[in-house]
Amino acid sequence: MNHLSKRIVRLPALAAAALLLALAGCAGLGREAGFDAMASAAAQRVGATPAWPRDDAGRQRVDDEVAQLLAQTLTADDAVQVAVLQNPALQAVYGQLGVAEAELLQAGRLPNPRFRTTRTASEESFKYETALTLPLGALLTLPAVLGMEQRRFEAVRLQVTDRVLAVAADTREAWVAAVAAQQELHYLEQVREAAEASAVLAQRMARVGHFSQLDQLREQAYLADARVQLGRARGAALAAHERLMRLLGVDNPVRVRLPERLPELPPQPGEDGELERFALGQRLDVQAAKADAAATARALGLSRAIGMVNTLELGPARLAEQGEPLKRGYEVSVEIPIFDWGGARVARAQAVYLQAAARVGETAVNARSEVRESAAAWREAWALARQYRDEIVPLRRRISEQNWLRYNGMLISVFELLADAREQVNAAQGSIGALRDYWLAEARLRRALGGRLPAGAVAEAVPAAAAASTGRLVRRED
Amino acid sequence: MDRRIFMGAAAALGAATVSRAALAGLPEAVQQRSAATQPPLAPTGGVPYNPVVTLNGWTLPWRMNDGWKEFHLVAEPVEREIAPGMVARLWGYNGQSPGPTIECVEGDRVRIFVTNRLPEHTTIHWHGLLLPNGMDGVGGLTQPQIQPGKTFVYEFVMRKSGTFMYHPHADEMVQMAMGMMGAIVVHPKDPSLHRADRDYVFLLAAYDIDPGSFVPRVNTMLEFNLWTWNSRAFPGIDPLVCAVGETLRVRVGNLTMTNHPMHLHGCEMFVTGTDGGWVPPAVRWPEVSVDMPVGAMRAIDVRFDDPGDWAFHCHKSHHTMGPMGHRVPAMMGVDQSDLVERIRRLVPGYMAMGEAGMAEMGEMQMPLPENTLPMMTGEGPFGPLEMGGMFTVVKVRDGLARGDYRDPGWYQHPAGTVAYEWTGPVAEPQRPPGAPPDAGAAHVQVRKPGGHGSHH
Repeated sequence: MNHLSKRIVRLPALAAAALLLALAGCAGLGREAGFDAMASAAAQRVGATPAWPRDDAGRQRVDDEVAQLLAQTLTADDAVQVAVLQNPALQAVYGQLGVAEAELLQAGRLPNPRFRTTRTASEESFKYETALTLPLGALLTLPAVLGMEQRRFEAVRLQVTDRVLAVAADTREAWVAAVAAQQELHYLEQVREAAEASAVLAQRMARVGHFSQLDQLREQAYLADARVQLGRARGAALAAHERLMRLLGVDNPVRVRLPERLPELPPQPGEDGELERFALGQRLDVQAAKADAAATARALGLSRAIGMVNTLELGPARLAEQGEPLKRGYEVSVEIPIFDWGGARVARAQAVYLQAAARVGETAVNARSEVRESAAAWREAWALARQYRDEIVPLRRRISEQNWLRYNGMLISVFELLADAREQVNAAQGSIGALRDYWLAEARLRRALGGRLPAGAVAEAVPAAAAASTGRLVRRED
Repeated sequence: MDRRIFMGAAAALGAATVSRAALAGLPEAVQQRSAATQPPLAPTGGVPYNPVVTLNGWTLPWRMNDGWKEFHLVAEPVEREIAPGMVARLWGYNGQSPGPTIECVEGDRVRIFVTNRLPEHTTIHWHGLLLPNGMDGVGGLTQPQIQPGKTFVYEFVMRKSGTFMYHPHADEMVQMAMGMMGAIVVHPKDPSLHRADRDYVFLLAAYDIDPGSFVPRVNTMLEFNLWTWNSRAFPGIDPLVCAVGETLRVRVGNLTMTNHPMHLHGCEMFVTGTDGGWVPPAVRWPEVSVDMPVGAMRAIDVRFDDPGDWAFHCHKSHHTMGPMGHRVPAMMGVDQSDLVERIRRLVPGYMAMGEAGMAEMGEMQMPLPENTLPMMTGEGPFGPLEMGGMFTVVKVRDGLARGDYRDPGWYQHPAGTVAYEWTGPVAEPQRPPGAPPDAGAAHVQVRKPGGHGSHH
């Protein structure tokens, strides 16, 4: 019996050692390694590094960093950084990644061997039977389970990275909306102020006898209307602010100080072609499809790559030319290897692999289309915002100057002057709306590009100068 | 015979475009660039007369050609300075609006060449003259219109002396709204009749030029904003000058759409003539405001006993104003002091105006829209004149040389002849028992000017 037991011990020990060696090499796992990889992938794309504190010291570090960011006027980039640090939903998602990682680690571990000693005694003799047992079944299924868990972990990692990108994009958009709403509020307050001055004057005019009740009531109606609009805008600004607070994970909105105005419109945006190429390199969905194709190849046992195929060019006509390099001068490409289909399983393997390749192609085509769509919207928004900035607002300002001259000549009254001020404020407000739409379109473009803009896609956004573009009614003083 | 040859030449000329060479056979179309009053054009031969002075205008030179006085009018777009700081793009004659005064003597045979350099056809109607029907200048009725580039000839005899004018009778509303008009003065053949020592002539014209623009709105019927004498508005209208004891004749024609009570301070006025002829002395009556009907002329004779600077203006007070907003509400008695700062946040540089009245408009000159005259302006020896439009001064002095039309400057008042401030105590006005203590202020809370005790 003894030797039998020994054999039982020896065999699995060798296998387990070999397996463990293999595992150690393949996953590169350790505690937090998965999170760090995700964090660096996300950081590369959104320019902000996530944190997932799991102890008091880590929590403290995050709190300190957030406090530092919130101590100054919050830029869009800083808002994104705060969100990836402490957005509560993201923290939960990071936890999900931790769970998947732990499960993968668990799957890679052999079940503990069991050591058992049995003593059998009779009257004249006794025997110790010692056995070391290992669950052989687990040993046999381990590679398959490990592979499954590995893929699951990869999927979770991509999901989590994707969530980080989504939260970053949402935060950027919410920041733009909140700043714009605040700015619009400022203008509506000016409108209210103009209406108030008109109404007070009209009241006095009526009291002295220059105005009829009708004239006075009209001015009062203007004021009432302006107040309603202001109230509505306050509600909208509050909602926009709170949405941002939720994304930032900030429980005390007073802590957050937003800039008074949106960043200035940047100079002319760049060309589209570069954007598409950039997106294909950066987008997670494209990468995931490519990884999936690679995994499929591995699963099919395909190992001898004989060339590369551009999935964007896959189609019935091209399939006949399998094996041919299909790169010819195509500027944008998503390439995966193609293999020597030799062997008996040709037909099935080829079909299965090409299926995966087609999915890569589909993802890439969709990604490119999304980029073109959002880039066009971005460009459009830029042109509109520029028209407001360079044409409509200056025109309104010049109209106001002319009206002011007319007021000097008693050709118009103060009421027309105030009505004109309201018009000018409306133009300024329209300009803010256009600028907000530009920054929203830019955020959406980032999203379509898979996180960030390529360097040089557009010159760095200039924070609004304090005096130059206050939107206040600037006029030369003669 | 001669005449027929000339007419043939003119017809041939008319067919060609007008150029200097082509016009060589015609009397020179003299141009005038200045809006200042030009010296009168004294006759060099023939019947002697005292030439008229066209206020802020000039008299058209002529040539004698075989017993005919030949004039050449060119209808064309012009730039007219309405007053310093404002230029109007008008239509006129020979470089100015109004056109030059045509001056001649009763019995003259006149031949007037009219060249059309306007973008559209025109004619000239000789308002008030007695002439053959075919010379009356009514487009379509008595002659074909003069097409752009063409020259027409009018020939007639000046049958009677008096005060007349000329203006288009083709697309008349537009062309007159654009400033096409001129005066005609015909002196009596007998120099001893209807004599005046100084003889001024001008036409009343109204324009609607939107502040900041240059061309009149020709479709305006009544809401004009520029009330002019010879297309000049105060302070662009030159003073009239005369000596104490002289007979001053002012000939006025009205080509606006409304009447104008011409009011001259410091004298009695007599209408001695209309565009219908001389008024018999027995039916003249003294006036201080002579109403100028629409489309009519008056010759007004006055004699001043007192030297001084006598105001001369249309008595419609809106006509002695520059452009203004007719819909601008009055602000008198409306306190804005606490609102100014708030309004300035929206309208930087805002100033409250009109709280006490509009006099401050005349005192401070603020930047206005381009090419726009202030509503009221002008500075006199005692302060702001607060005038605009149809206002000028007749400067009457002792011992002015005959024919000296130079501006003598402000009148130097002898001591004790100017109204002065009372510095003694002023008693409260006696009010009937039961009247509210401040009845005068109950209706309109006019803020009383500080320091002055007297008001009614």
